[in-house]
This record gives sequence, C-alpha cells and structure tokens, in this order.
Amino acid sequence: MMMMMMALLRSGSSKILPRYQPSILPRFLHSHATSFGFKQDEKSKLVVNVFSTVASTYDLMNDLISTSLHRLWKDRLVSLLHPFAGMKHLDVAGGKGDVAFRVLERMNSVSNKALQERLADTEEVTKIFVCDINPNMLNVGKKRAIERVFSGFGEDRSLHWVEGDAEALSFADGSMDGYTIAFRIRNVTHIEKALSEAYRVLKRGGRFLCLELSHVELPVFKQIYDYYSFSIIPAMGELVAGDRASYQYLVESIRRFPNQETFARMIFDAGFQKVEYDNLVGGVVAIHSGLKL
Amino acid sequence: MLKSSPAARRLLAGIVSSRRIGSPFSLLQLSTAAFDPASNPSTHQDQPPALPTPETSRSRENDGEAHRRSTGKREGVSYQEEQARVLRAALSHVPRLGWSETAMILGAKDAGISPSIVGSFPRKEAALVEFFMDDCLQKLIDRIDSDMELDKLILSDRLSKLTRTRLEMQAPYISKWPQALSIQAQPANLPTSFKQRAVMIDEIWHAARDQGSDVDWYVKRTVLGGIYSTSEVYMLTDHSPGFRDTWNFLEHRIKDAFDLQKTIQEATYLAEAVGAGLGNSMQGFMKRMFQK
Repeated sequence: MMMMMMALLRSGSSKILPRYQPSILPRFLHSHATSFGFKQDEKSKLVVNVFSTVASTYDLMNDLISTSLHRLWKDRLVSLLHPFAGMKHLDVAGGKGDVAFRVLERMNSVSNKALQERLADTEEVTKIFVCDINPNMLNVGKKRAIERVFSGFGEDRSLHWVEGDAEALSFADGSMDGYTIAFRIRNVTHIEKALSEAYRVLKRGGRFLCLELSHVELPVFKQIYDYYSFSIIPAMGELVAGDRASYQYLVESIRRFPNQETFARMIFDAGFQKVEYDNLVGGVVAIHSGLKL
Repeated sequence: MLKSSPAARRLLAGIVSSRRIGSPFSLLQLSTAAFDPASNPSTHQDQPPALPTPETSRSRENDGEAHRRSTGKREGVSYQEEQARVLRAALSHVPRLGWSETAMILGAKDAGISPSIVGSFPRKEAALVEFFMDDCLQKLIDRIDSDMELDKLILSDRLSKLTRTRLEMQAPYISKWPQALSIQAQPANLPTSFKQRAVMIDEIWHAARDQGSDVDWYVKRTVLGGIYSTSEVYMLTDHSPGFRDTWNFLEHRIKDAFDLQKTIQEATYLAEAVGAGLGNSMQGFMKRMFQK
C-alpha cells in the first residue's frame, strides 16, 4: 500500500527516516504545514528510495486498516465516474493503477462492449492516463498491468503512465473527460492548485471525482471511529509494519483535512458546478464530485 | 380549484421539471449531500437566471479575491441548462437507440459537450424519459394557450382533443415507448413519473374548463388518468394509419366515463333517497314497536 507511504513522504514527514535522523522526528511530528522544509528534489529522492522496500507491507496495511473496504470504495468511485468508450481519463497520484485498472475493466466489460459497437462510428480511442510524482510507483503499476495479461492490460494501449505533479499537470487545457484522485488530495501541498489544475485539464462536461478519508459526525459512531483511529491503527502499524509513528501521523492528517462541506466549497471555488459529496461508511470516506461547464 | 393563469401553470410545470434535472436538492441517496453555496452565510450565488449566453470557453480566475466578494456570481451557463441541452439532443437518437445511455452519450457529443456529463445524471435513462415528459407537458400548455377552438366543443370533446394532442407527441417514439414505460415503472422512478402524470392530467382538466361541480376533483383526475394510461397502452399496438383506432378508443372511453359520471351521481342520489326512506320507515317501525 502506497497511500500511507505517500501520505507521509509527500508531507515531508520523516517517519521512515527516524532510523537515520532521529533528531528531526519530533519537529515534523507536530508541524501543521504540509511541506516541512524539504526541498522538492530531496523529497523525491526519499520517496524513490523507500518505496521498493516497504511497498508490500503497506499494501497489506491498507487492507488491514480498512478491512479491505478500500477496494469497494474505489469500485464505487469508478461506478460514479461512469466511464464510456472513447473516454480520456486522468487518474492523478494513482501510480499503482488501482483506479485506472477499474476504469479499464469497466470499459471492457460485456455491456460496454455492446455500447462500443453502437458508438463505433465515432472512432474515439480510449486513453487512461495515470499520473504520479513517483516513477517507482508508476513502475509498480506497469508491472501489474503486464501481470494482468489475461485481461489484456499488458498489451492494452489505453494505459499511459506519466510522471507529473498534481499541482502542475503536463496535459493540455480541456483534454480530459474525467479526473479522479483517490486518497491523495490530502497529501497535496496546495490543494487549491491541484483543484484548479483539475479544472484546467477537464473538457466542458468533464467530471472531477475525489475519494478521500473524511470526517464522521454521527454521534456514537464517531466515538468508535476515533477510538479505532487513535488506538488501534497505530498499534497495527507497529505490529505489522514496525512503524507506529507513521500511522499516528496518518490519522492526525485525516483530522486536519477540511470536512466535507469545506472541501466542497473549495471545489466550487475552483470553478466546478453541481458539487456534491457522497458519504460512505457514515463519513469515514467521502466521494466529492464536480462538473466543469 | 381556481382558474390559474398560464404563468402560474408554467411555474408549476417548471418546478416539477427542475426537481428532475440535477437539482441540488436531489434526495436520491440518503448519504448524498449536495453542496449548496446559496445556503452558505457568505452568500455565493449558485444558479443564475437562465441566460442564453453563447458557450464561449471562459477561464476561471482562482485567486483569493473570489472569497472576499460576498456576492460572487457564477457566470456563463448553469449546469441544468447544459443538461437540458444534452437531453434534448439525445431525444433525436431515441427512435434508433431507445431510452438508453448510448442515446445520451451521442446527445452529449451532438451538443458539443464531453459525454462525461452523462455520469452526472442521477438516474440516467430515467432523466431522459422525465425530460421528455416535461417537454411534452410544456408543449401541451403552449398548444392549449394557442388553441382558440376549445371553447366551441363540449366537455367530452375538449378532453378528447387535449388527450389526443398529448398522445400524438409520443407518436415519433412509439417504437421505443414500451421501454420508456418500463423505466417509469421502476421503483426508483415511480414517484417522479406519477407526479408528472398527475400534473399533466390536472393541466388537461384545467384546459377543459369544466365548470360543473358534480363529481369529486379526485375522481375526475383519476378517471381521466385511467383513460390516458389505457389509451397510451392501446397506442403501443395500434397499427392503423395515423393511430385512428386509438383516437376512436379514446373518444369512446371518454364518452362512457363522462356519462358514467352522471350515472354515478344519479346512483348516489338514489342510494341516499332509498336510505333516507328506509331510515324513515325503520324509525317509524321502531317507534311503533316501543310504543306498545
């Protein structure tokens, strides 16, 4: 699971580094900024180095913490997206390809094939771009695509792996039908920039969808969720990944991210219309969507 | 019910239709909430009045000044208008492709908008059908306003003509209309389709300008609703030229119902009279019984 990893490293926290630079650790634990003074290239190097060693552990942690619900959440994100044949879709910071594969699967599904025949006269080619700041993650994704050869992903020319930053996308204005970002917008340094970039690259009629851990307000469930977050998750982190501090930080960063309404306001301010959000599991996860016109 | 002005009727039809197409107040899923900037204390305005602005691409400024302005207006077209445009363009593909997402995707392409917008309709195909129903209602209201000959006909002929006008609007889509009916009958779509039909029947009764107060308001609308639905279904298998058989069927049903109403009224009076008479004789009988 890279989502936790990216969470830490993008924010510049050195939870992985304590072994090397313990003195930096306390300062970063309590800082509230999402950029901790790391220069961009240093941050990138850290990210690259750590990835390959801890990737599989964090995959497992993802499944454990969300009791595999994260798969369903991503399924729901893609079903809300409603992909169609000939679509140009951009998945940002989804290097391992979770969302991209789901979009492709949906497009290749039987019912959509029937749709494709009817739309055949249009001859639009489906293109799914996966953009990530970390080339290692993109490599993991490419390998996975090849492994899924039985679905034809390996030879599928629909997937395009692009290295890039959510705040400065390299795509042309109005070139994408859809934009998704799953569990990563929390870790972007300037969220407004990412949102305005999303607005820029979308075509008229294009949709922005964001899946993110969000705030729970239901009375009893909130207590249970808080207990789970602050007591159980860091303990699991320690047991399985040997890294309590990262998960402590993760849980805190979730609380610091704006709540559903505030984030919806930010999306609206970026220029999107019909801004809505869907609470899943009582608000543990929220899918925000906006329409560009 | 008072005779409402055309403007009031249009408002009613407008309210009914605005609830359909991507209204921010959609209550489809309990957990879905729509962000409504209008409810925010800093009063950002969300929906501008319907402007026929040209669709020029506008670059949106995203600077802090947007927050400081307390009445930030959203320029350009609103999403409801764009959605309506897409649906209207999709209608032209319906006879070929049915009431389906494919038609909507092609409609979006015709309207020059990314087909992603189809994903933003809550109940995809139902949105298309409901748009069509609202559109027909609007056309019906326009036809009523412009028709001067309605007053010369008797009540049953007026009803017959109006219902026929409305049903004729479905004629181009008749090959795919069974699909539309099945979409409307789905549990998720049933409340909306029922409301649309109720509004339409109400419109027809209004236009018929029935001054009589003989039978109940609800009975009138229920009866006409029933006649409308049966004629609609009859039309599905009618292969006569110009749907002649359907119009015959319709006229006969309305005449029957019309007369039947009188009969029902008469039957009610009779029952009351008999009841009164019986009651009197019962009372007389009981008195005599207990006087003894």
